[in-house]
Amino acid sequence: MFQALGLAVWDDDRLLALLQEPQRDSESSGRLPQGAQVAILDRQGNELSPEDTGEANLLTERWFLVSGEDETGAAVEGWTSESRIRVRQEADDGSPLGGTVRPRLGADADEFTNLYAEANASSEVVARLLERTEVSIAQTVTLEVWYQVQGQMADGEEVSGWTPSRFIQVFSDETSGRIDRGNTGQFTLDYIRTMVNDRFFMPALRTTLLLMVIIIPIQFVLSVIMALVIQARLRGNSLFLYIFAIPLGISDLAVGIVWFSIFTQNGFLNSILQNLGLIDAPITYLSAQTRHWILIAIVLAEVWRATSIVMVIVVSGLQAISQEVLEAAELFGATLWQRIRHVILPLLKPSLQVALILRTILALQVFAVVIALSGGDVVTVLANETYRQYNEFRNANVAAAYAALILLLSMISAAVYLRLIRTQEEVVA
Amino acid sequence: MSTITGEQTTTTTVEASEEVKAIHRKMRRRQQLGRAGTYVVGILLSLWILLPILFIASMALTTRETVRAYPKGILPFIPFSMDTLNFFLNSQGIIPGLINSLIVAAITLVLSTAIAAPAGYAISRYFFRGRDAYRLSILAVRAFPIVILAIPLAVVFINVGIYDSPYSLALMHTALALPTTVLVIGSVFASIPYELEEAAMVFGCTPWQAFRRVILPLVLPGIAAAAIFTFVLSWNEVFAASVLTVRERTLPAQVLNALGSSSQAYQFAGGFFMLVPALVFIFFIRRYLFNMWGQVTK
Repeated sequence: MFQALGLAVWDDDRLLALLQEPQRDSESSGRLPQGAQVAILDRQGNELSPEDTGEANLLTERWFLVSGEDETGAAVEGWTSESRIRVRQEADDGSPLGGTVRPRLGADADEFTNLYAEANASSEVVARLLERTEVSIAQTVTLEVWYQVQGQMADGEEVSGWTPSRFIQVFSDETSGRIDRGNTGQFTLDYIRTMVNDRFFMPALRTTLLLMVIIIPIQFVLSVIMALVIQARLRGNSLFLYIFAIPLGISDLAVGIVWFSIFTQNGFLNSILQNLGLIDAPITYLSAQTRHWILIAIVLAEVWRATSIVMVIVVSGLQAISQEVLEAAELFGATLWQRIRHVILPLLKPSLQVALILRTILALQVFAVVIALSGGDVVTVLANETYRQYNEFRNANVAAAYAALILLLSMISAAVYLRLIRTQEEVVA
Repeated sequence: MSTITGEQTTTTTVEASEEVKAIHRKMRRRQQLGRAGTYVVGILLSLWILLPILFIASMALTTRETVRAYPKGILPFIPFSMDTLNFFLNSQGIIPGLINSLIVAAITLVLSTAIAAPAGYAISRYFFRGRDAYRLSILAVRAFPIVILAIPLAVVFINVGIYDSPYSLALMHTALALPTTVLVIGSVFASIPYELEEAAMVFGCTPWQAFRRVILPLVLPGIAAAAIFTFVLSWNEVFAASVLTVRERTLPAQVLNALGSSSQAYQFAGGFFMLVPALVFIFFIRRYLFNMWGQVTK
């Protein structure tokens, strides 16, 4: 469970891992927190995968595969940065075809430009071209700029390393910047805080608990009645069995739609009432002003759908009760109600335990029914919030926080049931 | 009561007194009332379950105007038409969603049965250390909320690169279905006494032959039922499908996505369409449902 909570609070945006070499799989040399000021020591181009091109802060540089003659007159070919080439001829679509090697400015500037084996400044130098040499450009590739930065870690230690430019906000002078976002996580309670302060949190929690408290007792009673009907083994028992078990195989979304068709404004409930002459105009059940009706609809839908699960467990528990005990009770004059209360229910305790635990845990995950009946806004439950955070707000961390809360509630209720029912048995014994 | 004295048999009958007869009558009437009452309760409950299904069916198998009409007629299926259902099936993304649902459910069925059958056999036949703990942990996993599984799995899938694919969703559904399947198949095996295998081996079969010729035919119905239930589980699953798929949606995820912006005809047809497999499948496996929650060992 601690792991689950860990997942919930894993912060994706906090620390940036600096690498020793300007390569993705290099070892980390240190981590800097988000917002740390850094000095930029060096830059280099590195390959960029196409799906990363849209990232914010991404600085790119282009490299050309050029061919020309070096000072010995031999034909050479290699990669060099776009900043070293002045493009003089372009194709119709704008792609560069040829140019000259730019001269470097400054008195003691190097008049040669390196050509590299790969589009990477740390690869092998294959040739050197004199400035103003004519070259033809065969290929272009876009690289992401990597920076070697230096900054202070949280404990004051100075650390330097390479990182892709997308994680750095570069100030205009190109020698200083700031860590914009990170790529490694750290433990934080921020997301739990976000979840609790979310405006949907309390309504979702309240509604979920309210639904649980209403639905489970109703289902408990209804399923025992259903199980007793099955257990009576009347003629046509097989048909009853089939009908009672049908909701087991129905998706909760379909159930939500079915009950929506009953409660919607031009739906069946209104139609029946109107045809019976009890109302004149359709009543609106599923609107923001009639929250209690939405809750009633959800309760009905859930009871309709999930009672079968509890019933199946209760039936298998009933089958374990020997007939002799029941007959003995009847012989001693117990009425039906007395038989149920004093013989059947106590013997059903283990099955009821399993059924209640399972049903409670499933009740915490009620999801599609709520969406179908209310669109998820007027009435919301915890599972719906998980879905909303993930899908609409694109916040996997807060969604995981909600999920962890559901897990916590499930385990608490399971523990409560186990304790409650076991203690009674011990008391009786 | 008859007594035999020598060669003469005399039968004496004891005539019940009036009081006892009255009690007998009352008991019989109470029994009959009890049976009639049970019938009434059973029929009421059946109506409770069947009526909503009837409603949605009549909405799905009618024209779109009738769906919008108010008040709806008392008699269902008037007029009867495939209009709404056609409209639904031809809507954007439904047929692909259907195919995806079938793929996911089929893969889940195969995978979970293949993994769960040996596990069920082991759990029912062999006494190994940690068996009870294993059984308890399976039960615990089954009670595990699907929401806590789906969200982190989505992040993992994105990082690994298998997000938004029916195959990865099938993996998730298999994980969901495995606990139930293992327990069902375990109880199916447990209901067949080991003596049968022993007898077969006494008569000269190898253990594998004993399994194949004697046990397998007996367990096949139960395993088939478990497999069908897994199929239905995967077919119906909404939450994980909505979270783990974006473009390759399954049918429930597609309908959920379109729920807010679709017409009532679409919704009702969708609900009915998702409902129909349940009606069919539950009919076939209703007897086996009770094994799913019971003890694994006799």
